[in-house]
Amino acid sequence: MRYALSEIPLIKRVLRTRWLQWSLTALMLLFFVLAIIAGLVGTPAGNRNFGIVFVWIVWWALLILLLVPFAGRLWCGVCPIPAPGEWLQRRALVQPRPGGKLYTLGKQWPRAFRNIWLQNAGFLGVALFSSVILTTPMATALVLLGFMIVAVGTSLVFERRTFCRYLCPVGGFIGLYSQVAPLELRVKDAAVCASHTEKTCYTGSDDGYGCPWLIFPGGLTNNTACGLCTECLKTCTRDNIAIFVRQPGADLLKTTGHKLDEAYKGLIMLACAFIYSTVLIGPWGVLKETARAVGTRGWFAYAGIFLALNLAILPGLFWLAVRSGQTISQPVKTTMRKLFSDYAAVLVPLGLTAWVAFSLSFVLINFSYAWSVLSDPLGWGWNLLGTAGLKWTPYIPGLLPYLQVPVLLIGLTAALALALRTARQHGQSPWAAVPVAIFCTAATLGLLGLYLA
Amino acid sequence: MARGRSRGKGELFALGVVLLVLVAFPAGIFGYQAWRVASAGVKTVDIVARAPEQGGFSPDRLTLRVGETVRLRLSSPDVVHGLTIPGLGVNVEEIYPGKVVEVDVTPTQSGRYAFACTRWCSVDHWRMRGVIEVIGASPQVTATTEPPLFQQLGVDLDAMRHATQITPSARPSTGAGAALNAKLPQDLTDPAKRRTLTPADAFHSLRVDPANAALSDDDVWSLVAWAWFKDVEPAAFARAETLYARDCAACHGPDGKGGGPAGVNLPGLAKMDPAMPKGPANFTDAGTMLAASDVLLQGKLLRGGMGTGMPEFGSLYTDQELWAMIAYLRAFLFGK
Repeated sequence: MRYALSEIPLIKRVLRTRWLQWSLTALMLLFFVLAIIAGLVGTPAGNRNFGIVFVWIVWWALLILLLVPFAGRLWCGVCPIPAPGEWLQRRALVQPRPGGKLYTLGKQWPRAFRNIWLQNAGFLGVALFSSVILTTPMATALVLLGFMIVAVGTSLVFERRTFCRYLCPVGGFIGLYSQVAPLELRVKDAAVCASHTEKTCYTGSDDGYGCPWLIFPGGLTNNTACGLCTECLKTCTRDNIAIFVRQPGADLLKTTGHKLDEAYKGLIMLACAFIYSTVLIGPWGVLKETARAVGTRGWFAYAGIFLALNLAILPGLFWLAVRSGQTISQPVKTTMRKLFSDYAAVLVPLGLTAWVAFSLSFVLINFSYAWSVLSDPLGWGWNLLGTAGLKWTPYIPGLLPYLQVPVLLIGLTAALALALRTARQHGQSPWAAVPVAIFCTAATLGLLGLYLA
Repeated sequence: MARGRSRGKGELFALGVVLLVLVAFPAGIFGYQAWRVASAGVKTVDIVARAPEQGGFSPDRLTLRVGETVRLRLSSPDVVHGLTIPGLGVNVEEIYPGKVVEVDVTPTQSGRYAFACTRWCSVDHWRMRGVIEVIGASPQVTATTEPPLFQQLGVDLDAMRHATQITPSARPSTGAGAALNAKLPQDLTDPAKRRTLTPADAFHSLRVDPANAALSDDDVWSLVAWAWFKDVEPAAFARAETLYARDCAACHGPDGKGGGPAGVNLPGLAKMDPAMPKGPANFTDAGTMLAASDVLLQGKLLRGGMGTGMPEFGSLYTDQELWAMIAYLRAFLFGK
């Protein structure tokens, strides 16, 4: 069941013009530049620095609480990080050059890396140092600058948006969790695509560029890799592509054909939600201090535990759960690897709601810093909008548990339903889903314990 | 052709926007700041205070001019700090993380002024110091400073001393000493001379004085206490109490017994002689304190403890504060 949102004339007109989307990207770029400048030369006090407050509180809140759950990869459509590289690649800022020509070495990304393993590694790398990055403006600025430099470099060497598709650490989880969103970009009628020989949505035309995300829209079946750049909407000569409003989580209803890299992404995100909830907002100050003391013996121990949890312990426990389910049920032809990857779909709603619950706590408590930072983004004593003196105020701290608990329970319910569905679609008995259900329940109880105890 | 011209105009406009974002916007930020500084009428210096192991004060060296008012903008990204610049009369009690404190300074005399953190911010808190160099013509001629008394007298601060065996059986009282209305010898009435004596020496000289033959040993100790305290101004004593709480209590304990949390791992005198007790000095230990002259204590305070963990306070205390502090340390043994 779905409704073609982009068939509404006004929305169609907006999506076909380039100026609105470009303007939003330029605006995001301005914020990006401000975040970098603030990080490099502004106050080192994080709560008075635009780079920390607007990246890790405001932008993160928008992303994880609104954009990803409700609009999928909409952020990717206006993200400023790949923009300069793409402009250089296209030698055009807004309107496309004839034929959608690109000026880049155009190398193909190595086949072995055409997955999200590098994105997983990138995310782990940032997450490992997040106690420093999230609180140190200079570190944030250097990370953002690093992302942009890599994005620009990649654009000049490789084809299209290779950075976004295979390297961006943020894109990895946005793509995974966008499967939950009630928004999708798909073809209206696959038969139309089959008869369309030019495939301008992928090759480009005078009206625009071939899919920057290296996807053939005609074969798009889930949100994971589509960056909602709407380039295909502009280049399709058959008006056969649309943005649909659909049932939330529709991508997850097909529980077969998932990949190991995405499974690991789901496990990494769940593990990091636990670790962040314990270290960054937990009551054990020594953990936070250790996580910040990069280079010390304690930090290396923390790093070891962090990586072990992400790469071995949690995946190992999940593997045990899937294996136990296979033992309980009658044997099926599916390999353990495929079962593991397919059952990992439960981690999408589980992990997303874990991140929503975690983010609610620090966003609601710290969001009020945004008002003073708007007036004094660099902490230099400015007062542009008269709000510099506004004091920190936590928002509805008493209501936090009442928000976190339902969110986590929604995620658990969806995960349990998916576990059952996966068992059924693989020809297993429903009892096969029980160990995975226990895993999901234990994870939720663990998070509830952290937030409520 | 028309489409091409339209595309060209559109691209030019977009390029203008990009240049605005990437060039004009950053230039505007720095330009606005430069304009603010120029029109403020007062020079502003941003000082960031971090725990010493993360860098301490940044910058930790400033150069100011005599007569020029400078606004110090203090902030901290980690824990609560404080700032004192004793020579310039600056005392900021709290620099809370994430908040900015502004204080104006107008030096009137050239010279070097130490500044230090006044809130116990880490185990290396005492290292959190800086220097302000004030240059330019001074309206007054700077007087040459004499070396401190312990240097003038050649007192060896690190020589191991035996504790006195004779100690009071009850806590000596300055009030009781004053009430005895006894005549004190000049050695004890002249502060300059008294500071070179140990309380134990004073006890011996008073004990053998025939005028005090009728007094008990505890009475004589009370006379010693009175001798040490009779010239201490209440305001100076109160100042010393504040300084002790701020600078000493973390290691020596609020009760002076040496059990403060910050002093747990400090070597103390055991660094020089393993037979000596570890950790900060216990000011309630009558044997050692009554065998230490004020001059010796002055030296320890001014110079610090040579690897014992005791910081130097010579750059932070005035002479008056120093002697008042020593009187305060005596108060752990001598009651009112």
